Amino acid sequence: MRTYFHLDMDAFFVSVEELYDPSLKGKPVVVGGRPNERGVVSAASYAARKFGVHSAMPLRMAYKLCPQAIFVDGHPERYRDYSHKIYGVLQSFSPLVEMASIDEAYLDMTGTERLYGPPLRAAHLLHERMKAETGLNCSIGIAASRLVAKIGSDQAKPNGVLWVIPGEEPAFLAPLDVRKVPGVGKVAEKQLNALGIRKVGDLARLDESFLDQRFGKWGLALAGKSRGLDAGGWFDTEIGAAEGPKSISHEHTFSEDTTDLAQIESTLARLCEMVGRRLREHRLHARTIQLKLRYWDFSTFTRAHSIARATDLDTELFEEIRELFRRNWKTGAAVRLLGVHVSSWSEGDEQLNLMGEEKHQKWRQALEAADRLRDKFGESAVSLAAGLRGNFRERTHENPASLPGKKKPS
Amino acid sequence: MEFTVSKSDLVRELSLSQGVVEKKTTIPILSNVLLEAEGDRVVLTATDLELGIRCSCPARVKKEGAGTVPARKLLEYARLLPEGDVNMKFLENHWASITCGRSKTRIAGMSRESFPELPQMPEQIAEIPVKLLASMIARTSFAISMEESRFTLNGALLFLRPEGLTMVATDGHRLAYVQAASAESGQTNKQFRALVPKKALVELVKLADEADPDAKAIFAGDDNHLFFQVGHRLLITRKLTGNFPDYERVLPKDHQLVAKLQKDEIRSAIERVAQFADERSRSIRVQFTNGEVRIFSSSAETGESEESVTSEYQGPDLEIGFNAQYLLDFLRVIPQDHMAFELKDQKSAGEMRPAGDGVADQYRYVVMPMRI
Repeated sequence: MRTYFHLDMDAFFVSVEELYDPSLKGKPVVVGGRPNERGVVSAASYAARKFGVHSAMPLRMAYKLCPQAIFVDGHPERYRDYSHKIYGVLQSFSPLVEMASIDEAYLDMTGTERLYGPPLRAAHLLHERMKAETGLNCSIGIAASRLVAKIGSDQAKPNGVLWVIPGEEPAFLAPLDVRKVPGVGKVAEKQLNALGIRKVGDLARLDESFLDQRFGKWGLALAGKSRGLDAGGWFDTEIGAAEGPKSISHEHTFSEDTTDLAQIESTLARLCEMVGRRLREHRLHARTIQLKLRYWDFSTFTRAHSIARATDLDTELFEEIRELFRRNWKTGAAVRLLGVHVSSWSEGDEQLNLMGEEKHQKWRQALEAADRLRDKFGESAVSLAAGLRGNFRERTHENPASLPGKKKPS
Repeated sequence: MEFTVSKSDLVRELSLSQGVVEKKTTIPILSNVLLEAEGDRVVLTATDLELGIRCSCPARVKKEGAGTVPARKLLEYARLLPEGDVNMKFLENHWASITCGRSKTRIAGMSRESFPELPQMPEQIAEIPVKLLASMIARTSFAISMEESRFTLNGALLFLRPEGLTMVATDGHRLAYVQAASAESGQTNKQFRALVPKKALVELVKLADEADPDAKAIFAGDDNHLFFQVGHRLLITRKLTGNFPDYERVLPKDHQLVAKLQKDEIRSAIERVAQFADERSRSIRVQFTNGEVRIFSSSAETGESEESVTSEYQGPDLEIGFNAQYLLDFLRVIPQDHMAFELKDQKSAGEMRPAGDGVADQYRYVVMPMRI
């Protein structure tokens, strides 16, 4: 029998902002940008949530629902900093830690009774230590599966600990909405509701073969989940096992739709820099480079190209992305969003170039030096000239490309 | 229009047009072959707008004129006809009726009016022996880039000077260079430089295969096109635009280390060892030691292999990674029994050349190593 903890920080971005500006405490706070800006809410304080504001909601709608809220810009670097601190606390507690996003983690606590006592006591200890060392509140779910631990931490919020005693999972899950199951989103919820399935208990009562037939592999995983099992691709790897990202991407939404080619290309250059930085951080080389292009009317296109020699250099990524853009842009059509996405890591030996190999090596050295500057002085310390005009504020994501503690593939 | 040709003549000339005719085209007329009966010949023309071919064969022309029919269908049908005379007659509605022995067919055609006009051949620049041309293509075209986005590398450079004829191809990782002296390639006092698309080179080799061993290709060019006339057959291609890389800079000036090798030995060794190379990178390690060259491969999925061959190599031990396919491309194309593998260090380009007797022209193959 395994014992898992799922620890989730309470209103993480907001709580970090409160540490920097204590006057925000207890007030409705929305992190993500100004109320008249485009883009979405990254996080909302509990006081703002009472008005119906939630993350991923457009900022303008948040303003309509709660005009008295205090809107603050996100500070990704602060959150990364705190994420590292959180990871530090967790690691001092158990060696088997996996950050699932910037503010949540799974811990494998199996066999730690002699060290920390029974699970509830251990969770209490961790909860207090987290508060003492970071000043932040968190909630912890304890269960025999990661899935139930995660649902548990959600139910424990805010600032609580909840232990689902092994054997009690069906009783715990049955009354919950299906939407509470990780992997069930808005669309799936609708489909399930249409079949009369509203609660997890409804799901658990169904025949597995029905879900398999109706939804395929995903349905089968869902059947397992409804009984509290770690089913589906999410849980394939052990906590703490080395696992790199499968793709890396960055996107940017313009505050106003644009047809300005210089601004567009500059933004693409900036996105390539961000992607290149993450590639080098993970020691990965990408073979497939994909452009995402969303026009003013929300029509969205992705176009990918595979290159002969995998790369981790901003300049080479940009060359490909610019070519993809030039080939596919409906000239004059206003662009709302741009994204750069890379995948298919190359393994093994690297073919050197006949021409331009020296230039390649020089760029590598220059960019590695730039990375060291950024490590020391922050992400905006140095940048490609081509990307300067596209120097937008980084938006806050819950799932940045790199998480502290994700092991880098060797 | 009405004419009669021999079945074998028709099939032979039609076959030559198949590589040019577009298989999937949005312009229907480009799937057709244009037939023009004139004097005592019938002329067959096909084009995909990039590449065009014009062939002809003797015919008994009853009524001069022109028409077009689907090239693939006509060839597939004509191949099945018995040996003998084939009569073709175009009808009012652009269809053609074909009669051969007791076979009668009417094939749906299209008006010749919509068939694109091919450019006129300008004044000739040189006459190049077709066998030489074909052999130069065989020794370079495998190095042409398959990546469509690198369009200046999607063909070979043809460089004609009074000193002789040069052909160069590269995909950015390796480069093949052949130079034939003017004694072989034919005299010319002009200088001419152009990029020939890969598809044109493939068709040129087919024309050479059909031609007499000592036939010559009359070569000409205008601003946009290149022309190769071999006997009654004319190949016209658009030039590739853009700048071909400065190959002179890539050709190594000097090498410190030389390994002489028996070609068949090293080729078979690499072929065997490469079976256990990583399938995507195709990387093998080549180790040069005193008097011996050893080849290694290993792949997590399939296993590992090694082999050694004797070599006149005297120098420090050196281990370099290469894409096995790149080395084999060269080893499979040279007729000579011996070759020289010249090297500098682990990170610099290696060069392969034919060695020993019977090396008439200058053939150099430069390969960039892999980082291992």
